[in-house]
Amino acid sequence: MQDFLTYGIYGTAIFLMLLGVYAVLVKRNLIKIVIGLSILDSGLHLLFVAIGFISGGTAPIFSPMAIESANKMVDPVPQALVLTAIVIGFGVTAVALALVIRLYRHHNTINIDEIKNLKW
Amino acid sequence: MVIADPIYYIVLPLLTAFLLPLFGKLYKPLIGIIPGFVFLFLAYMSVILMIDIRPDNPIITKIAGWTPPFGINLVFSSFSGFIASLISIMGFLIWAYSYKFKKVGFDDSLKYFILLLLVVTGSIGIVLTGDIFNLFVFLEITGISAYALTALYRGRDGAEAAFKFLLIGAFASSMILLAIILLYTQVGTLNMAEISVRMHEVDLKIKVLIFILFFVGFGIEAEMFPLNGWVPDAYSQAPGPIAAVFAGMVAKAGIYALVRIIYLMFDLEGAFHLLLIMGVITMIIAEVVALRQEALRRMLAYSSIGQMGLIMIAFSFNTEQGVFAAIFLMFNHAIIKSLLFLTTSFLVYNTKTKLISDLDGFGKKMPLVSLLFGLGAFAIVGLPPFSGFWSKLYVLIAAANQHMEVIIALILSVSVVEIIYYFKVISRLYFRKASEEIPIQKPSLNSSIVMIVLGLIIISVGVYPDLITGLIENATTSLLNKDLYIEKILPGLAEIIN
Amino acid sequence: MKKLLIFGLLIFIGVEILDVLSEVPFGEDRMKVSNFYLEKSPEVLKVSNVVTAIVVNFRGFDTLGEVTVLFLAAAGIGSILYRRRSVHTELNPKRTSTEASNIVQAGAKVLFPLIILLGAYIFVHGHLTPGGGFQGGAIIATGFLLMLISYRKFFVKHSGVTWIESIAGIVFVGLGLLGMVYGGTFLENFLPAGELNSLISGGIIGIIYIAVGFKVGAELTGVLDTLLNISQDEE
Repeated sequence: MQDFLTYGIYGTAIFLMLLGVYAVLVKRNLIKIVIGLSILDSGLHLLFVAIGFISGGTAPIFSPMAIESANKMVDPVPQALVLTAIVIGFGVTAVALALVIRLYRHHNTINIDEIKNLKW
Repeated sequence: MVIADPIYYIVLPLLTAFLLPLFGKLYKPLIGIIPGFVFLFLAYMSVILMIDIRPDNPIITKIAGWTPPFGINLVFSSFSGFIASLISIMGFLIWAYSYKFKKVGFDDSLKYFILLLLVVTGSIGIVLTGDIFNLFVFLEITGISAYALTALYRGRDGAEAAFKFLLIGAFASSMILLAIILLYTQVGTLNMAEISVRMHEVDLKIKVLIFILFFVGFGIEAEMFPLNGWVPDAYSQAPGPIAAVFAGMVAKAGIYALVRIIYLMFDLEGAFHLLLIMGVITMIIAEVVALRQEALRRMLAYSSIGQMGLIMIAFSFNTEQGVFAAIFLMFNHAIIKSLLFLTTSFLVYNTKTKLISDLDGFGKKMPLVSLLFGLGAFAIVGLPPFSGFWSKLYVLIAAANQHMEVIIALILSVSVVEIIYYFKVISRLYFRKASEEIPIQKPSLNSSIVMIVLGLIIISVGVYPDLITGLIENATTSLLNKDLYIEKILPGLAEIIN
Repeated sequence: MKKLLIFGLLIFIGVEILDVLSEVPFGEDRMKVSNFYLEKSPEVLKVSNVVTAIVVNFRGFDTLGEVTVLFLAAAGIGSILYRRRSVHTELNPKRTSTEASNIVQAGAKVLFPLIILLGAYIFVHGHLTPGGGFQGGAIIATGFLLMLISYRKFFVKHSGVTWIESIAGIVFVGLGLLGMVYGGTFLENFLPAGELNSLISGGIIGIIYIAVGFKVGAELTGVLDTLLNISQDEE
């Protein structure tokens, strides 16, 4: 069971990350490349939250009920950092989409092969 | 509340950036003036702080009242302080240069100044922070403002260069984030000093993976081969002063982070060999490619990559002389490359094609700018009596003491290549007749003054290097003395663990 | 061929990382610094949501950077997607999309205040329940998005957005600086911490998270509005 959880959850996160990288490297559509970046980020965030989990732990909130039951709590630091990472990922995605809109405006296409003024 | 505190490096520009839209509503010209005052204050604060700073008394700034490793802290040591001061002073000069930069084609000076403030803040934050995740946050601030600045021109190629930059930058930051995640599972902390202490507990296999992820991630920021394809595009598409920002600040912050990781956090012997190899490859390929460039800005960009390679080589020696030479090179590269990009921006603006072959006879048309470009070119290839001469000499001495004859030969032959391509430009400027009379846009007074100041710094450091060697010696001691760094941040912890 | 090569390389990288991660068993207690946070957050700061305590206080500097990233994204998009002059003069940007149906419009009108209320609730209670300024702000932005896509004539006042985000940013930094005046370090809590699990607790943490909520809400709305209007000017 433990092995299954370890490999299953980490595997999913890594699969998402690699899927994102694959999309960025192979796809020729700019929007799909941005989606790839987004998937890569999601994989990283999932992995980050997963490493903070502790078996049997509850959410790190000292609500009146939690104080009574005195359960173990999961690691709060990865959750806080993931919040930061998500916001940063949003910022990068938003700027990337704005650039795509601008590239479309200039070139009338979102195919990366047709946008080659500079050397890629 | 003290008047000079490293926290102001971050907080004041952020506050100003938030306030700037409101100032713009009150009175338009404030948009340009207020950032200038902020940069001036930061530069002034740098001078005050640097006077008192010694390797054995770094300023540790706690945030939110928690002592490290529980809270984030800023470390203003002789090394980080030197680089932060360099960046803040360059920030002021770039502001002064671009303050009346009307002709570049952005009517939105508000966005320009906000982005300029934040790119400077991000770079300083990378240098000062003592927390690895905080470093990642500042890296992203620098990155996003750099992407937006690259696309500031309204031409079609700006957006393309910026998108390319963004893709590679996002890839780099993903690798760094993954490395931070893996590191956190192993050491359970994010404070760089504590990570350094706990590093020996980490399994070698994991340590190597984490190191490679960091190395590639920060290597991209530091323009390391092979993922530096964004550099020439971004440098040639961004506005002139922004190219100077990239060369003088963003690349410096990247190499700083790389060095911090290698020297402070990892005790891997192979790290220095890897840095040496990558530095050599980066330098050779960039300089050879620079030789073949026809566009002036792209040539300078490749030359900049070559210089970063040289800095990596100097850092890879892991000796006092090597580090000294490397920090000297960082200083020189920031000043000289900025001067070259700032002058180039006027030269290129007055040509139609931005090609080197279009620069015939500019020595007569724009005497001041051409003269300063020539000065910068002489300095960067390392001719006396300019400051570039000393840093290159120190690199060669450091290599000689390591008995690395091959490296010496390589550096010298690469210098010959540099001389060839810079002289190609200079001969166009001075020894060819202008083909046609086109109206010339003369630099404005503030831009001229900034370029002259940079030129004077280059000459005075070249004639009298003792002006800054004292500071660089302190910085070297501070970087190499890892135990002192840990002891100052986490008093008592270093002994408990060791 | 190239695809196959990339595929193989990625599989190799994935296996390598998974191999390393197999030494980090899932669900094991590896906390070091976090124990300190779990202990101090209810005791000293009187904040029951430890994640909020970390985000706003222990690692509040990260959050300042995070807010800056959002601000930067909004400013960056503004500078990347400059408006063409001809469009700029028109007061009301014309959207080419068809008008949403009556049902959607009526529904949006009912939902909009509720969504705003939910967002405000979440960021006001950031220190007590899951959520906080970022989550609440994002919910508020979805409310505006709903209105933007269901009404063609609905548009966000840009000067209002600017005022809100600037003032919220100043409140954040200003409270941090006040912490420096009264406490000695930036972002230090200088207000009485109050009682655990009551609405007014945690000193400046709650106030900062409310400011963050306003800022995030305003910025995301601004970003959505910019992207929506510019992309529809294209036709």
